[in-house]
Amino acid sequence: MCIFVNLATTKKISLSEDELVNALKSQDTVAIKALYDMYSGALLGVISRIVLQTEVAEDLLQETFLKIWNSAGSYDPSKGRLFTWMMNIARNLSIDKLRSKDFKNANKNQDIENNVSFIDEQKKVSFNADTLGLKELVTKLKPDFKDVLDMVYFKGYTHVEAAEELNLPLGTVKTRVRMAILELRKKFN
Amino acid sequence: MEEVKAYIESGILELYVLGQLSATECNEVEAMAAKHPEVKAEITAIELAMEAYAFENAIKPSANIEAKILAEIGVEQQDNDPKIVPLYQQANDSKIRALRFALVACVALLVVSVAALYSVYNKLTIANDQITTLSSNNEQFARTVNKLEFDNSGLQNRVDMTETDEWTTVKLAGVAASPDAKMLVYWNKTNKNILINHAAMDLPKTDKTHEYQLWALVDGKPVSLGVFGENTKEAVQQMVTIQKAQAFAVTIEPVGGSVNPTMEKMVVMGGVSI
Repeated sequence: MCIFVNLATTKKISLSEDELVNALKSQDTVAIKALYDMYSGALLGVISRIVLQTEVAEDLLQETFLKIWNSAGSYDPSKGRLFTWMMNIARNLSIDKLRSKDFKNANKNQDIENNVSFIDEQKKVSFNADTLGLKELVTKLKPDFKDVLDMVYFKGYTHVEAAEELNLPLGTVKTRVRMAILELRKKFN
Repeated sequence: MEEVKAYIESGILELYVLGQLSATECNEVEAMAAKHPEVKAEITAIELAMEAYAFENAIKPSANIEAKILAEIGVEQQDNDPKIVPLYQQANDSKIRALRFALVACVALLVVSVAALYSVYNKLTIANDQITTLSSNNEQFARTVNKLEFDNSGLQNRVDMTETDEWTTVKLAGVAASPDAKMLVYWNKTNKNILINHAAMDLPKTDKTHEYQLWALVDGKPVSLGVFGENTKEAVQQMVTIQKAQAFAVTIEPVGGSVNPTMEKMVVMGGVSI
């Protein structure tokens, strides 16, 4: 199974997903170098959507790679792709950080809701051109779908929280997430 | 089949990929995926879309992050020297690049300037040498010209004296102490002027503290007609006028002349034959 090697940064180490998983599980350090070369940019992109401060995001990227390294044994290839597993580690660490006491203290006057609009403002500045293109794509989605995908994917809400926030039944939230991702799939697959 | 389709369309698989499900729900999805290949395929398609989306939105981390991670998991990197990474690396990079260009330009300018200076210095040295040579040549020419003019005016005077009746030429010959010495004295018959011609004299050398003094013997008494030096600019020199004299003589006296001649220092003498 071949993965998005060429989309990753530039040159450097790249392995097939099977080789990578085997190397990672046997704690071969070549795995961490390859993972970094291939996925650090994509993972930092995910983290930076949730936590905007570059320094904090890069700290979280470090934590993410440490957790990937230390929890390699718990990854089960039969349950999903390696990137999905890593992406969720990165997102969970980022959301935990966003909700942590010290982070909130450091960003006083910004609870999660305020953070959302704060994030929106900051994004306009920090997004690169490619990202702007994608933001546009998401913007093209029906507003109903967009809101849900924004909250669940960009802003670290759980779908339960999103349902409460939007005052919608859980099932509707699920459908809207699906419609939004279907739009993405049309674009990428 | 309808059941599977409804399951897929419920949106639970998206939430599964996004890590939004509880452990129980996850187990359920995984069981469905194991049982129905189309569920598994749907999950993979969602994963690939999210993966492509993440890659499209990739952000390159700072250069030092990889080293930090590798250090934390205990991997030694070959070039793992601690680096000072400036906070605003890109801004500094461009500044450093600009400064580097400026430095290179400065060094190039310096090299060119030093080379130009060295070349100019060489030319200046050569020019100075030429000026020295030329001015010494010039001095030599000037001396030669002066000598020639001096000789010429002396010779002209001698020619003039022989061609006129107005002047008497008195030859002064060397005495016992200086037998080779000789000179001429011209005496105007009408106005009694006395001239001497430096180009037509050969007198013993004097030192810096002495010069020549011309005397007229008038009725046995010496009368000073003035002093003259060894080196003069004009070849012809006018001396003191004397109305009558029986002889002329030259003595060597201290600079400025003497009231009475020092007879033992007499170098030439000649009687008047009119």
